[in-house]
Amino acid sequence: MENIQKRQPVNTEKSREKENNSSISKESNQSLSKKGNQSLSKERNQSILKEGDQSISTLDVFLEKTGFTPVGLLGVILLLIMPFIPPFNQEYLLRWLIYAAFIAAMSVGFDFTAGYINIVNFGYAAVMGYGGYTSSILAINLGLTPWIGILIGGLNSAILGLIIGMISLRLRGIFAACLSWFFGLALMGLATKLVWLTRGPLGLRVPRMFATESNIPFYYLVIILLVAMYILCKWVVKSKIGLAFQAIGQNMDAARTSGINPVFYRVFNFTLSCALAGILGGFYAHYYAILTPEVMHTSKTVEVLAVAYIGGRGSLWGGAVIAFPFIFIMEIIRSTLSNLPGLNLIIYAMLLILVMIYYPGGFSYFFDTHIRKPKNKALRYFLNGRETSAS
Amino acid sequence: MIVLETKNLTKQFGGLTAVNAVSMTLYKGDVMGLIGPNGAGKTTFINAITGLNPPTSGDVIFFGENTTGLPPEKMCRKGISRTFQIPSPFPKMSAIESVMTATVFGNPPGTIKDPVAHSRKMLEFVEFPMSEDVISEQLNTVQLKRLDLARALASNPKVLFMDEMASGLSEGELLDIMKIIRKITGQGISILMVEHIMQLIMAVCNRLLCIQFGTKIAEGPKDEVANDPKVTKAYLGSNTDEKNKAEELVAEDN
Repeated sequence: MENIQKRQPVNTEKSREKENNSSISKESNQSLSKKGNQSLSKERNQSILKEGDQSISTLDVFLEKTGFTPVGLLGVILLLIMPFIPPFNQEYLLRWLIYAAFIAAMSVGFDFTAGYINIVNFGYAAVMGYGGYTSSILAINLGLTPWIGILIGGLNSAILGLIIGMISLRLRGIFAACLSWFFGLALMGLATKLVWLTRGPLGLRVPRMFATESNIPFYYLVIILLVAMYILCKWVVKSKIGLAFQAIGQNMDAARTSGINPVFYRVFNFTLSCALAGILGGFYAHYYAILTPEVMHTSKTVEVLAVAYIGGRGSLWGGAVIAFPFIFIMEIIRSTLSNLPGLNLIIYAMLLILVMIYYPGGFSYFFDTHIRKPKNKALRYFLNGRETSAS
Repeated sequence: MIVLETKNLTKQFGGLTAVNAVSMTLYKGDVMGLIGPNGAGKTTFINAITGLNPPTSGDVIFFGENTTGLPPEKMCRKGISRTFQIPSPFPKMSAIESVMTATVFGNPPGTIKDPVAHSRKMLEFVEFPMSEDVISEQLNTVQLKRLDLARALASNPKVLFMDEMASGLSEGELLDIMKIIRKITGQGISILMVEHIMQLIMAVCNRLLCIQFGTKIAEGPKDEVANDPKVTKAYLGSNTDEKNKAEELVAEDN
């Protein structure tokens, strides 16, 4: 079966190449396991079937509902089997993977604001930490289970997002960004100074979510969070709300004279993206089992920002895809050059500057313009899903 | 039938009065030209009516309803839309998406059954010269003005404000715009246009409103206003003034 697939050289080779570029994998050919190949060919067969009868299959309906393209779905499948692929079944690499997936999910939430309503939420990490602290403190002081704590943390962050959204309403662009940044700094200051509650810089010892040493349950949890957040955000931006987001992000005056009420959409956007950050913060706390005010630092936001921007603003998936190779490269640099601390931050900055100057569209723009529209119909389906007219 | 009325509309920025107690009346089917020298307060007047920059005092009455100070999104839903002096596109959106924003959000929910078709119709109406999928930031000023107009029309307005739609257009483009303006009036939409090109004003307008230093100096049928000595003096320059100046110069020389 596999051999037959391999003997249709052009398409399969090509799609595999694409898949290497685009999906969430960064390992080289050898680790593209049997499973990966099989699901790939399955996709292909289905797509050919579809071209034939033109009807909408259940897969298409599923993809449309979830906002995934076949290649994206394949990426998710790959992520799900990742812990069993040789180099990644080691615990320390799994920890990297978890961190990468966490940053990926953060970048989805961040891009939901930065890429659509065009306001950079510089306090995003602080909002995340706020959610984490909420959940941790509830768990420590009241013995609340992390599962509910995380949701309360998300809710709490949502309220914070609502407040930031309301206060920054009259501000545009950079001013709103500054305001959210100051909010972040203030929150971090609170976390440092309220020693009786947060133990300040010493950090809170937080109960872990699963009472096991293994990283695997955490890995699946964060992947579920990533996928769920992506689907939620994608669903919102695909609706007419997304059109309003883009309009107020790109030209406030024209949006208002076109009948869009910016108050509702901006506050809604802030609330949702902060809620996502809060939930992720809860995960972070209950995974690393220690929470210090450091996680709320602006440099954490910048890490997310770098990933989201290099991935491509306004795409949601760009940052999520780039997070994996990016975090791995950073971790490798950090561990091999451990005598040069802070080098990774310089690399962030360099990369970010280079991308902003030479390729402001980021990876998603590159993908959309150079890879996304191949001539081959099956491949095209594989990369785009069923094509719909307009929007 | 009176469509839109302003009563003593005033807009102050700190100590500066940009629009000073301007009252005017716009009737159904009117194409009213708003003229005046640069900095007279024409755009400020439009901003004050459309809510982008609410007035300090005075009233705006739209179909008998006082709409003073309503935000632009509410004005848009009520049926007032506008184009901008400097075209104001959504840079990253395609043409059809830009128009779709106004179609979806500018009309009462549920009134437009097929937003894509409606938006397409608007682009055709303004004779948009490019493909509907072209990204706005790739368009030139003339094309952007068409797009802006299509966006303004997509919310099915009753009154349309056009801010210097024709500035920078060539002779041929001017004729096209005239044709489009006539088409818009044909739909029963009243127009208030700020314009400097007298040729266009005299061709399409039936009434004129002239503002100088934020104060109304004339309003009425176009020929009457155009020949009003105050207007000619303010806007087109005055012969007597020039003569006096020349005489003064000669006197100084001697």
